[in-house]
Amino acid sequence: MPEVSFVVLDPSGLHGRPAARFVQVASRFESAVMLRTGERSANAKSMLALLSLAVKPRSEITITADGGDADEALAALAAELGETVVPTEGGIPVVPAEGGSPTPP
Amino acid sequence: MVGLVLVSHSARIAEGLRDMVGQVAGGDTPVTIAGGTEDGRLGTSAPLISSAIRAAREAGADDVLILLDLGSAILSLEVALEELDPAERSRVRISDAPLVEGAVLAAVQASIGASLDEVAEAAAGAATMTKVQAA
Repeated sequence: MPEVSFVVLDPSGLHGRPAARFVQVASRFESAVMLRTGERSANAKSMLALLSLAVKPRSEITITADGGDADEALAALAAELGETVVPTEGGIPVVPAEGGSPTPP
Repeated sequence: MVGLVLVSHSARIAEGLRDMVGQVAGGDTPVTIAGGTEDGRLGTSAPLISSAIRAAREAGADDVLILLDLGSAILSLEVALEELDPAERSRVRISDAPLVEGAVLAAVQASIGASLDEVAEAAAGAATMTKVQAA
């Protein structure tokens, strides 16, 4: 199951408008989309579940998608998060390739 | 599309919440308000609630979820609903959710094209929402 990880830079974490946008984008896809932070995970298509996760700034989040359009879903969500996050690999922030976006191919 | 009608005893609460909901969920979900009485006092008004329901429909809402701040609004609300014909009445649901949290969750759910059942369920989830995380 494909997944991508990020560190959240937004000083307000993942709340309010950004959380709502996340739900709206995730809901466009058939795949089940989950967002994990630490030991807890939530259905990324549910505003209540996302807000209940209370994602804080500087915390690492991992988004997983399971379904036929999983890769597209992850790419769209990474694009939506944009510069409010930094991609990580094994907990270490990754500097995007030159000229490239932090979204996976 | 599902629209929301926000009913508050205070016009300013209703206006402020409408702004907040619009900012969080985006502007596509019809959100109308009935705040205070017709003469600008604190309270609720059946005619204002009726016009808010009509305004939600005119803004593109096929179904309407109504959220209220305090239980005493239910009296005006019931009067307003009696004015609707049965077909319209069947497309209107009253939520028991806390107003602010319920409105935000419902608006996000409505914005993804969810059904009235799904939007009502999302709002109902607000009752168990944790705001202060255990340290």
